[in-house]
Amino acid sequence: MKRLVPLILAIPVLSLVALSLGAADVDQLTRYLFNPFFDTQSPSHQIIWEIRAPRIAAALLVGAALGVAGSLAQSSTNNPLADPAILGTSAGASLGVLLGVLTNVVTIGSVGSVICAAVGALAATLLTFSLARSALQLITIGIGVSAILNAIVGLTITAISRPDARSISFWSFGSLSLVTEKNIAIVAPVLIIGSIFAWKIAPRLDLLSLGDSSVRHMGYSAYRIRLAAFAVLATLVAVTVSTVGSIAFLALAAPHIARYLCGPRNRNLVIFAGVIGALILLIADTASRSLLPPYELPIGLLTSLLGAPILIATLKRSGDVWR
Amino acid sequence: MALVKIENVSIERGGRTVVSNFSATLEPGKITAIIGPNGCGKSSLVGALAGDIAVSAGAIFFGDRNLAELSDQEQSQMRSVVQQSRNYWLSYTAREVIEMGQSEDSLDRVDEVMNALDIKRYADQRVTTLSGGEAQRIEIARALIRDSEVYLFDEPLSAQDSASKVRIINYMKSLAKEGKTVLVIAHIDKDALTWCDQIIDTLAK
Repeated sequence: MKRLVPLILAIPVLSLVALSLGAADVDQLTRYLFNPFFDTQSPSHQIIWEIRAPRIAAALLVGAALGVAGSLAQSSTNNPLADPAILGTSAGASLGVLLGVLTNVVTIGSVGSVICAAVGALAATLLTFSLARSALQLITIGIGVSAILNAIVGLTITAISRPDARSISFWSFGSLSLVTEKNIAIVAPVLIIGSIFAWKIAPRLDLLSLGDSSVRHMGYSAYRIRLAAFAVLATLVAVTVSTVGSIAFLALAAPHIARYLCGPRNRNLVIFAGVIGALILLIADTASRSLLPPYELPIGLLTSLLGAPILIATLKRSGDVWR
Repeated sequence: MALVKIENVSIERGGRTVVSNFSATLEPGKITAIIGPNGCGKSSLVGALAGDIAVSAGAIFFGDRNLAELSDQEQSQMRSVVQQSRNYWLSYTAREVIEMGQSEDSLDRVDEVMNALDIKRYADQRVTTLSGGEAQRIEIARALIRDSEVYLFDEPLSAQDSASKVRIINYMKSLAKEGKTVLVIAHIDKDALTWCDQIIDTLAK
């Protein structure tokens, strides 16, 4: 657990760096940074505290949620390849929001869109769950369900011609640019409660690594443990997708990097994967908005570019065993 | 004390009858071995006794209760199952694997069982680095620390060296002495099973 300390300390340090970087130059940066109430009416204050700060908070929360969701996905399917993107969860959330927006029931980032995403994510995840007869089938059927839903989302975005189509399509590849303080007020409690639930069911998830029949022999129900994990992961993913869209790779990579640092026990894994997810997304988002200003680079590509080398390095270093 | 009665049991798997009209009685305080070559339905039988596989005909009784009518939880309190050894992909320590999901009572027995099976010296080693025999002993330990009336062992000695075999056999004998019902599935010769009280050859149908 002492490896957690530098990771936790990195969060405020990197957040300060992220507050100071961006498309707009800010004079007297340190005065704004270290006194949130300095000159509140100035544009600089607004840029730092009303645009960048919510976005940084969102990156941390969403990154943590994806890290936790990824560890739930891998532990509940007992498979190192699992992530919410291949269980149908992410695609279901995307489709839910898309349908809600296209039928003019909700707007992106609203409470309604979170509900649409949650319904879509839960429906798709439970579809995968109800079709699969084994832990391995959760993966293979999940890939099928994801492929179908993603195809529907892609075709719909291509086919529609609406003024907000561009923002829908931008969002479907993931972006934190539409995040507001109001979003965060909705998202934060769900993500925090979801993560606490994940931590609570963690010891049962350890048990799943023994295989379903061993779980049954000990009087537990693998089905129920998995159902609880899927409900939590679908909720976490739903909230992230409704706020920032689908962000690639993070949920797969964060648990692997976490396992390298803390071992496989799910109580530790949930915490480490959450912190690592938060850090990777914060770095990726800061890079996405400050590398080529005023353009914003697609966040999903940066999480891949940042997460994949770390993932490969940790797997290489742990030798031929999964940690 | 639980008498296990297997009454006219048939088991089908994938449309093929692997066990047909098999009957046997496993008595408390005794070690029973079921032997036979590969593919003769031994593992299906242990699967049925463990409640993993439904029987297509006949019934299995634990004491006076029909296994088919017991919940998973009730089954788990009555019997403890040693599966054939497994592959691990997550690097839990041996002790972590043994202690997973166990009750407080079972956790009190961890050290005693670890000593009896000579696991202590690699208790903190990662299970991904263990040999086949060492990993199999972890499986055995997981079942032994659970206090139940019936113990089902599927090929517990297949990967063990002679010293470990003696330790495991001695532990089974001590269970039988306490009045437990012990069943061992094996594909070894009758001559090597002199420590069993009853040997059932599945081929002798």
